Amino acid sequence: MSPSPPSYSDAPDASAQKQVDGSKPDLHLWKLPRGRHGLPPELIAQSQRERLLAAVVRVSAAQGYQATSVADILKEAGVGRESFYKHFKDKEDCFVAANDTLVADLEARVAVAYEEPGSWPERVRRGLATTLEWFGSNPEIARVMMIEMGTVGPIASERFRTTFRRFTALLDDGKEFIDAAPDLPNLSKIAGGAVFARVYEEVALGNCANLPQLLPQLTFELLLPYIGEAAAKKELRKATKAEG
Amino acid sequence: MRHEIGSLEEPGVLTPTVPLDIGVRSHRQRILAAMARSCAEKSFAATTIGDIVKRASISRGTFYKHFKNKRDCFDATADAFLVELEAVASEALTDAASPTDAIDRATAAVLERLAAKPAYADLLLVEAPNVDPAIVLRYRSIVVAALDALWRKGKEGKRAAADPELTFGRAKVLIVDHLAGGEAARLPSLHSELVYLALLPYIGHDKALKQARL
Repeated sequence: MSPSPPSYSDAPDASAQKQVDGSKPDLHLWKLPRGRHGLPPELIAQSQRERLLAAVVRVSAAQGYQATSVADILKEAGVGRESFYKHFKDKEDCFVAANDTLVADLEARVAVAYEEPGSWPERVRRGLATTLEWFGSNPEIARVMMIEMGTVGPIASERFRTTFRRFTALLDDGKEFIDAAPDLPNLSKIAGGAVFARVYEEVALGNCANLPQLLPQLTFELLLPYIGEAAAKKELRKATKAEG
Repeated sequence: MRHEIGSLEEPGVLTPTVPLDIGVRSHRQRILAAMARSCAEKSFAATTIGDIVKRASISRGTFYKHFKNKRDCFDATADAFLVELEAVASEALTDAASPTDAIDRATAAVLERLAAKPAYADLLLVEAPNVDPAIVLRYRSIVVAALDALWRKGKEGKRAAADPELTFGRAKVLIVDHLAGGEAARLPSLHSELVYLALLPYIGHDKALKQARL
């Protein structure tokens, strides 16, 4: 018998409406009381699923996805093997589901920052700041989303690529706001690629904590292909002020 | 006197036309090709020495004569392809009239080679960062040093504000996006945008756009 679907869904969009409070996302590892507790089965199922997702993130960040076994995840989550297979087909399924909820969470936070009124470069800077702070204060999550996702296999790699495209697609409306944005077929990828490359590198080298202080430089690099040197430098100075 | 494999001289008794180490060389080539194919199919992590040995039709003992272990073999494969790309690029820019022209030609030549050898391209650009990010940092420094040298030679130092390391990163992201999407054959279509990127840190956004004819 399969449990009723918990609020987390496999569709990355589903939890985008989740409340965004700007605080650190929690890796839920609290355990339910042992023995008879009379909790409804849906709640138990949801709790198990959330703990498994948090556990796969923690364990993969610490020892690498390839070296992680289902047994490691069960131990970290305090969930039995039978329950694991009620929720997930295998280790990969669990890992990709965890990544999806993380992507949805980050996407929702970035959307809030980006949609607040302001000039387009300002909105871009706010979205970028949110991303850098999120990765900066969550090294385990950064490791999983940026590095480990690439080591899983074809399904995860395709998902990884889709995620990159979803984030760069946010920049696509820049053309509406920027006079004479150049006609590069891959403009948003060229802009976002600088951020992606730098974040990837810092995370790979274990320097997540450095990310927030890269905001001025990366604001410049992100906006450069859209607005050119002089205007991008102005935004760099604003970002330095906003940070200081 | 050494001879290239496949040279068409008359077989001689006193001077061999076939290099004496041809067997060893072809073993090595076969091992590298097997590593590239296996990584493309099932990733480096899932590749075993057994996979490589089987694909290369060699013995396990032969493998260990050439390489210490799987990682050693991977590094050799990545390095060999990098050397190949360097050769392709430097050949393309020998007759270039200016640094801009050199970048234009070298970019076209490299893209063509990447498109022709997608398994190797995948190994160098998609797998290598997963295996060890230090590999990518090493070849990034080679590419950036080559670009810097090109502009020093033209008596024009770096003068725009964009970071050449991030330019490399942007180009890599763009190429990987195509490779991962199974669009290796379409890599040459990125030519203008990659020329823009290579010029961006040196002549700035406006001139780079113009030079790349965008």
